[in-house]
Amino acid sequence: MNIEHFLKHAPKCVVESGEHSDIVMTTRIRLARNIANIRFPLSFSQQEANGVQEKLMKALLTPQEQLNFSYFKMADLSQLERQLLVEKHLISPYLAKHKEVSAVFLSSDESTSVMINEEDHLRIQVLSPGMQLMETYEYASELDDRLGKQVSYAYDEQFGYLTSCPTNVGTGLRASIMMHLPALTMSKQMNVLIQMMTRLGMVVRGIYGEGSENLGNIYQISNQVTLGKSEREILEELQKVVEQIIEKERNARKKLLERAQVTLDDRVNRALGTLRYARVLTSEEAASCLSSVRLGVDLKLIQGISPSCLNECVMLIQPGFVQQYAGTMLDAVDRDIYRAKYVREKLDNDSLITGEKGEETYDV
Amino acid sequence: MICEHCKQRHASVTVTKVQNGQAVAKHYCEHCASKFHPFQTDIQEEPVALHQLISNWFGVPMWKSTQTEEKKATQSTCPSCGFTYRQFLKQGKFGCTECYNTFRDQLPPVLSRLQAGTSHTGKSVVISMEQLKQKIEEIRQQMQHAIAEERFEDAAKMRDEIKSIQHKLDAGGVDV
Ligand SMILES: [Zn+2]
Ligand SMILES: [Zn+2]
Repeated sequence: MNIEHFLKHAPKCVVESGEHSDIVMTTRIRLARNIANIRFPLSFSQQEANGVQEKLMKALLTPQEQLNFSYFKMADLSQLERQLLVEKHLISPYLAKHKEVSAVFLSSDESTSVMINEEDHLRIQVLSPGMQLMETYEYASELDDRLGKQVSYAYDEQFGYLTSCPTNVGTGLRASIMMHLPALTMSKQMNVLIQMMTRLGMVVRGIYGEGSENLGNIYQISNQVTLGKSEREILEELQKVVEQIIEKERNARKKLLERAQVTLDDRVNRALGTLRYARVLTSEEAASCLSSVRLGVDLKLIQGISPSCLNECVMLIQPGFVQQYAGTMLDAVDRDIYRAKYVREKLDNDSLITGEKGEETYDV
Repeated sequence: MICEHCKQRHASVTVTKVQNGQAVAKHYCEHCASKFHPFQTDIQEEPVALHQLISNWFGVPMWKSTQTEEKKATQSTCPSCGFTYRQFLKQGKFGCTECYNTFRDQLPPVLSRLQAGTSHTGKSVVISMEQLKQKIEEIRQQMQHAIAEERFEDAAKMRDEIKSIQHKLDAGGVDV
């Protein structure tokens, strides 16, 4: 499959819904692996880098796997193409940056990517909609075992799977849950919760990378520890924490509705008005309005807009997607103009699709 | 609480450093915390010798150790990638798998600060086809020896072992 297939739309896992998908957007599992007897990307030679790529091509382009995977060297992609893959979370910014040595295998449904020569030789990543920690891990683990037969992994009886950074050693597992927590943020409970989660060994981040903190009230919660606990323990602990947060968010939403329904109704509909009619839209404003509208949809204060369209917009408001939509390089001012147009179009199209259904369910 | 570093953003990350055997809690914002990787330290804030800061992080009391021990710890060099232990502490990364062997004795205190334990308790690695082939080759050589020494019973056992591994290999490395 050519690269265009992976650049046009938001990935399926973002658009589809899963368990608790009113609050949990996606589940991501990442496994870090290295190949025995080849130095880590930090200190390997270009020759070793090529060797890793070749070994993985043999392993992943076998008759059984090749139907599913497409292979791209980072050096063969344009800057914009790499950026779009980063914005879709199909590759990491680190992989895009080290383009001389790195490559990626992408499954055609975009649920799975195998990054080559990131900080480790291999980073297996599987994305699922909603909350599906165990299922997504099982899926990643099966691919891991199939690959482990084709290439010899670097593994140590004491330290487990060996990785370049000691924060990944052992299981090499990083499980992340992306959550939309508008009510907890509005009621100023997040700071306390973040501290609680940090104490429980979790890492909390914003979705658009470092420094973006809670843009759009979206938080990514992941496990910190990879050694000294089994995969199951790590996943169960994360699951417990996330379930608690879900419950707290649900309660906070209920309280908001009880105590300030009119204010809330006004706020989410104003946000919808901005998205529908604004002619200039910064990414901050877009993210904040999308969050409010999403909350409005989840609380049935807004009808006729699908959650999947809003999820898609959360991804499409990023600079790379706006540039692709415009079809030309943009400065910051033009970008905000095109972003407004893009979001407007997406919402209009969505109304066309959900319009009839929207009317049927309109009488509440 | 305001971030202790930039004094602008809200502090959402609590970092506990160990300084001279005492735990000190520092509060940073997400942005500043990401810059203070556990291996890097805030030099501006605390003008202490770098190696002491690093050892403080891990509670490895380097300044207390005898000179020879310190030399041994900091001078061991990975034969495969050339990383020294000091370089590892500074960068916070290993250069290759051999680093784990080279610094094996020094790692548990480092790992126990970052991790829940110092031993892997999760899933075991699968054996690759390449490793199965190597295994067959090893046994084959042992079998030649056994035959040369007329230990035919041993040789027969080894032949069966080879057969079963070969069987596995033919099935694509799947346990049968
Ligand atoms: Zn700060
Ligand atoms: Zn090394």
